[in-house]
Amino acid sequence: MQPNEPTGSQPEPGNWGLVALAWIAVGIPLGWGVFMTFKKAVLLFH
Amino acid sequence: MSGLLDKERIVAKPGFNRWLVPPAALAIHLSIGQAYAYSVFKLPLTRALGITESGPGDWTQTQIALVFTIFIVFLGLSAAVFGRWLERVGPRKAGVAAAFCWGGGYLISAIGVRTHQLWLLYLGNGVIGGCGLGLGYISPVSTLIKWFPDRRGMATGLAIMGFGGGAMIGAPLADILMKHYATPTSVGVWETFVTMGLIYFVAMMCGAFGYRIPPNDWKPAGWTPSTTNVGMVTRRHVHVDVAWKTVPFILLWLVLCTNVSAGIGVLEQASPMIQEVFKDKVSASAAAGFVGLLSLFNIGGRIGWASLSDKIGRKPTYFIFFALGIVLYSLVPHAGRIGSVALFVAIFCVIITMYGGGFATIPAYLSDIFGTQFVGAIHGRLLTAWSTAGVVGPLLVNEIRQHQVDRGVPVAEAYNTTMYVLAGLLMIGFICNLLVRPLPDRYFMSDEELARERRRGH
Repeated sequence: MQPNEPTGSQPEPGNWGLVALAWIAVGIPLGWGVFMTFKKAVLLFH
Repeated sequence: MSGLLDKERIVAKPGFNRWLVPPAALAIHLSIGQAYAYSVFKLPLTRALGITESGPGDWTQTQIALVFTIFIVFLGLSAAVFGRWLERVGPRKAGVAAAFCWGGGYLISAIGVRTHQLWLLYLGNGVIGGCGLGLGYISPVSTLIKWFPDRRGMATGLAIMGFGGGAMIGAPLADILMKHYATPTSVGVWETFVTMGLIYFVAMMCGAFGYRIPPNDWKPAGWTPSTTNVGMVTRRHVHVDVAWKTVPFILLWLVLCTNVSAGIGVLEQASPMIQEVFKDKVSASAAAGFVGLLSLFNIGGRIGWASLSDKIGRKPTYFIFFALGIVLYSLVPHAGRIGSVALFVAIFCVIITMYGGGFATIPAYLSDIFGTQFVGAIHGRLLTAWSTAGVVGPLLVNEIRQHQVDRGVPVAEAYNTTMYVLAGLLMIGFICNLLVRPLPDRYFMSDEELARERRRGH
């Protein structure tokens, strides 16, 4: 890492749209996996 | 290409949003988490030649099960060996290497299945895939802790939650793909391996290229770090070559090993266990539901307990894991005796949250004790505890159960002794956790040593 890089506290970040997009990209497969597992788990209570 | 992967190239520009890093880490952990779902290939692989049923020359379940053992062993070994390299080259290069190993491992295994050569399966999924697993697992840890010094537990919990979630995606995906590719002459496994290898390669490359590291001494807006050590949390840094020889490292190794051994043993045996304890009450499909429920609590525990540890501290969190774990494991035989499926299920759901929570909280515990500079490498070395537990836990549960059955104990009660032994194992972890103390000053790097390490790229 460069020793002369900016240091210290940063201003409040932006890019919240990109953040939402990134979370959706990983959230959809994870949500699908959780849903499929939940469907399987429901069998225990039948 | 090499320039793109260099550590200097991924230092975040001012204004970079740190919340972009956890999804990048999740992309990698969700991919490698498929390792936990490898058992979905077990039965189809035993019919690779016979197709409808196992035929002459087909592999046995025991032979296939060895792949998972190799996975776990190489996970620990690669994390321990390459942890320091990761700290030097940065998370992107390590993430890319992990993607090549994990995706490439599937492709090699596909050839192994297509040509029916078991050693290629061991090499592809086991050895090379295991190295991808280890590298991928530790790749975001140090970076996340540096981006979230105010919420270390939550940040690493988010990524490690993905490892638990990976099996939830991988199992149904593999099932769908195998059904899609199945023909009268193929069980569809090698085609599934190729497809999954490519999917995971792309997902992991996206994650690796999403990694950014904060500039030295970066801190979140509005957060002021303490200039002195607070309780167990140090503001200084211990070199990895020193850290692993210290007493707290050995204690934390035992803490992780005992916690994981108990949890993984139960997780591996969950389906047959509930059916044997509640014979005629729990069907095979209900048992599969039990396994699914445990998976949900496993990922819930990863993010839940790790986030809680930011509030109450790591040592108290592990205190709860072990104290509550001992009580709960000891209660399991009672739940079996009174025939309460609900109590049995509830006990194991809580136990499994603490198993997942143990994984997710340990990186933050390490960074509290040893500082953040080498936490990725130190965590890598600690993961040998997971490899050990991955072999010891299931062996312990299966062997004790078999010994009980051989002695004439009814099958429904065969797990009782196992539960008491696991409670004893947790007692060892409980004592080790109590003995963890902050390190004396002599173990920490001086400011000059730290500056020198940072110049060298660590």
